[in-house]
Amino acid sequence: MSKKAVAPKESNRYLSSKESTLFKELLSLYEAKQLKKGLKTADQILKKHPEHGETLCMKGLVLVHMGRREEGVELVRKGIRMDLTSHIVWHVFGLIQKGEKKYEDALKSYTQALRFDKDNMNLLRDVAQLQTQLRVYDGLVETRHTLLRLRPTARQNWIALAVAYHLSGHLAEAKKVLAEYEKTLKNVPHYDVEHSETLLYHVRVLEELEQHSEALALLDVSAKDRTIVDKTAIMEIRARLLLKLKSDEAEHAWKVLVEHNPECYDYYKGYMLNQGLSLDENPAEALAILHEFSIQFPKANVPRRLSLSLASGEEFQTLAQAYLLSGLTKGIPSLFVDVKSLYTDTTKLKSLQDIAESIRKDTTPDPSVASSSVSTEPTTYLWVLYFLAQHYSYLSEYLKALELLELAIAHTPTLPELYTCKARTLKRAGDFFGASRAMEDARLLDGQDRFLNTKSAKYRMRAGFIDEASALLGLFTKKDAPSPGADLEEMQSLFYLLEEGDAHRRAGRLNLALKKYAAVQRVFDDYEDDQYDFHGYSLRKFTINIYLNVLNWEDHLRSHPSYIKAAIAASRIFVNVFDNPKIASGNIDGGATDAEKKAKKKAKKAQKEKEDAAKKAASATAPTSTNEDKGLDVPYKDDDPDGIKLLSSPELLELAAKLLQPLTTLAQSNIEVWIAIYDVAIRRDKHLQAAQALTHARTLDPEYPDLHVRVVHARHFVSTLPEPIPSPSGPVFIETIQKMLPEEVSPETFNSQYLQNHSTSGKAILATAQASCALGASLQEMEDLIFTVLRDEVQLDIKTALEISSFLKELKSSRLDELHQAFDVRFTVSTAFKTSDELTKLREWALTTKANDSKSSDNGVDAPVENEAELGKDA
Amino acid sequence: MNIRRAKIEDLPGMQACNLRNLPENYSMKYFMSPFYPAYLYHCATWPSISYVAEDKGRIVGYILAKMEEEIAEGEPAHGHVTSISVLRSYRRLGIAKKLMLQSQESMATIYRASYVSLHVRKSNRAALSLYRDTLGFEVQDIEQKYYADGEDAYGMRLMLKHD
Repeated sequence: MSKKAVAPKESNRYLSSKESTLFKELLSLYEAKQLKKGLKTADQILKKHPEHGETLCMKGLVLVHMGRREEGVELVRKGIRMDLTSHIVWHVFGLIQKGEKKYEDALKSYTQALRFDKDNMNLLRDVAQLQTQLRVYDGLVETRHTLLRLRPTARQNWIALAVAYHLSGHLAEAKKVLAEYEKTLKNVPHYDVEHSETLLYHVRVLEELEQHSEALALLDVSAKDRTIVDKTAIMEIRARLLLKLKSDEAEHAWKVLVEHNPECYDYYKGYMLNQGLSLDENPAEALAILHEFSIQFPKANVPRRLSLSLASGEEFQTLAQAYLLSGLTKGIPSLFVDVKSLYTDTTKLKSLQDIAESIRKDTTPDPSVASSSVSTEPTTYLWVLYFLAQHYSYLSEYLKALELLELAIAHTPTLPELYTCKARTLKRAGDFFGASRAMEDARLLDGQDRFLNTKSAKYRMRAGFIDEASALLGLFTKKDAPSPGADLEEMQSLFYLLEEGDAHRRAGRLNLALKKYAAVQRVFDDYEDDQYDFHGYSLRKFTINIYLNVLNWEDHLRSHPSYIKAAIAASRIFVNVFDNPKIASGNIDGGATDAEKKAKKKAKKAQKEKEDAAKKAASATAPTSTNEDKGLDVPYKDDDPDGIKLLSSPELLELAAKLLQPLTTLAQSNIEVWIAIYDVAIRRDKHLQAAQALTHARTLDPEYPDLHVRVVHARHFVSTLPEPIPSPSGPVFIETIQKMLPEEVSPETFNSQYLQNHSTSGKAILATAQASCALGASLQEMEDLIFTVLRDEVQLDIKTALEISSFLKELKSSRLDELHQAFDVRFTVSTAFKTSDELTKLREWALTTKANDSKSSDNGVDAPVENEAELGKDA
Repeated sequence: MNIRRAKIEDLPGMQACNLRNLPENYSMKYFMSPFYPAYLYHCATWPSISYVAEDKGRIVGYILAKMEEEIAEGEPAHGHVTSISVLRSYRRLGIAKKLMLQSQESMATIYRASYVSLHVRKSNRAALSLYRDTLGFEVQDIEQKYYADGEDAYGMRLMLKHD
């Protein structure tokens, strides 16, 4: 808050001179967060002037800081009513709204405040932050202009104006401001990081203006006189500019970069690009260059690995032989993951398999020879078995992979990687219980390794053991957290939230699943809020370049795969519950697992203790006894811990639409996004949006099974409407569908045509059945259709088989057991289609481990003392 | 494998890598308490000294570093490694060393850091050996009960070369 002018006596802002002094004191007490004294002072003023608006507001503000939000906000509102033309009351209100993350409302209040005190620097700075947060860039330019006019000596005001121009798309203006600013500087010290950042920013502006020579000139002169001190940045920008300028010096500049860091892909890419080579064409020339680099940097992996992507035929054979042998001799665990991307080329796949098999042959110990005379390292044999197991597992040859792993485990029973590979293979093959048990075996070999701990917990969740997974996770989470999950949520573990959400979803506990997906969403909301302070901080620190990247990142936050996954999964639940509210009421009782109930009890208890303690403190002494500043931000409060309110919300579809909305621009190439958008839009009668979603999906993959179902659904939807959809969306919707499903073709015919075209695809057969369902086909028709997936020629994976099983279950088909029996035969390793008796036994078995077969005392859970294999760090 | 400077869009990947690997975790921001290491705060303040190892878009290793803010009069500027880790499945490639060297070079050239410090759990022999034997750090002191679970930490230092 800033100083105030003396008000005339008849005004309701008038304070007698003693109170006027007290008010100034109140302002400085607030600045110093002397809350207790501030409150006392405010009360003193109010005694004499009980309707003094500014004091009421200040008192309210202090109370909010002290954690008495409701009371405080009430006072603030009253204060505003008492003095509508005071900048202080509006400023206070703006601060409160900002704390509630109501940025738009806060900006309105601030704008109001500025009307009554237009040159108030504090107000202007806050306004600039709000404008940036809200991306109101034209307004931002104006605010930054005012600030610079008021304080042209503050260096940051110049930079802030340039940045505002930049953000509002006026690069040329940004350039002018920077040039002006640099003219005002005298005696710039060398090695000044802030100035260096400013110059780098200037170079960036020039580069974005495509004034490459000018950019290069500024970069070179600043590098030479050491005013830009970031050597890596200088080298990178220089090489990039020289390339754009097609300069002769470019080749050297890129080479210098490769020498500086021979493990950076981008530098090789730049070098090649400069030579007119891409990494896909002219392989001979590019390979020669890479060969030279690999001689120059014998320890660097990048040139050798890039060569594998480029080479073919015999050359590939030679290079791959050396690459694999070296990796296997060194025992590099990531070798398979590293070369896997070459498998898109089937010749390379075959070649790598042959090489690995031949290394295996060469290194297999000969039982007839004494072990001491084995010529090669015995570990090479082990690692080649591991490599080949991953290879065959990847190719869905599960039995072969498992056989190799048994050999390897017999050779070295203590290598966790062998068990993690076994676990992954079993998981892929559909044996989630065996997978979980194998992963736990891996973990038990190194109980201090959080990586293995996380994996085992994940596999337990995949097998449906949510409580048991939580027990494992708890070995590494904070002991004072209400539950392991609560700590992981606080630490923003997207992995955990998604895995547990999915586990609940599979178990039909939709409310709890939704809670986890909502928590993912909240992580991204927090990421978005996180930027707020940087609108001021980064400019003060002159870290402008990274700050611009922060803003850009924030604008694209929700393109993150975890957000997309959570949004689609949650949206599907919302749609399903909307269609069939019974599935919501069916699972609400006893939804929580035991551990969750326990955790909730613990959390409740902790919360109660906290509240009791607070009450006690409050009653024992005056409520003003503490100076503790609780800040202005509203703390997150969960008043729906089981997600029951969420699941029974009357606005399910609106919630879904809100989740999906950012993806319409951020995830346009994801077909599942468009399918989800269609499903929500069509139920909300947003026909235009539904039509657009179908069109988008169709450009991505016109034959996509889930799209086929929606096209049939859309046609059926229009033809069964009691009244046509009004113009203009109606005709557009109909026209869109007609493009995909011509008017003269019946949806039934369209559906059987689709089936004919994809008769050997399990997914397409399921889609056809789902489409028939939408068209009101009989149960028997759909069953007959579904059972055609059992034909030998039909391609079917575990995931589709599971989807088919749940589809049949939804239809309440009596042939479900029959289908499961057939699937159980087809998927040899899988346990997913066992009978419920068999499953009960499997569950018990999966939670016993090799280790606790032999260990008697503990339950297979080791306390983490330290993490030997890790490079641990700060608390 | 690609070793390069951390970009802002790498931060969630670094956070995920840390959560999988280490018991000491941080949320993205925690702006108001500068002693609390947080990814955004580190990278927005010292954008050029944190590095990542990336494999086809996935962050498999990282070093999160800062410059020491509270230094006494006359004491030289120095850097600090807040967190470094490499996913178990990407070990034996020398990634930690490569990350460390890149970060150190930037600390020395940009901030004229005279040395870099770090903390390591007393019991973490593997990390201790990497820092001491491979990277040349020396144990400076022992910080009692440095970690939340009560374990002591070695404070280690490495002097940086300047050209």
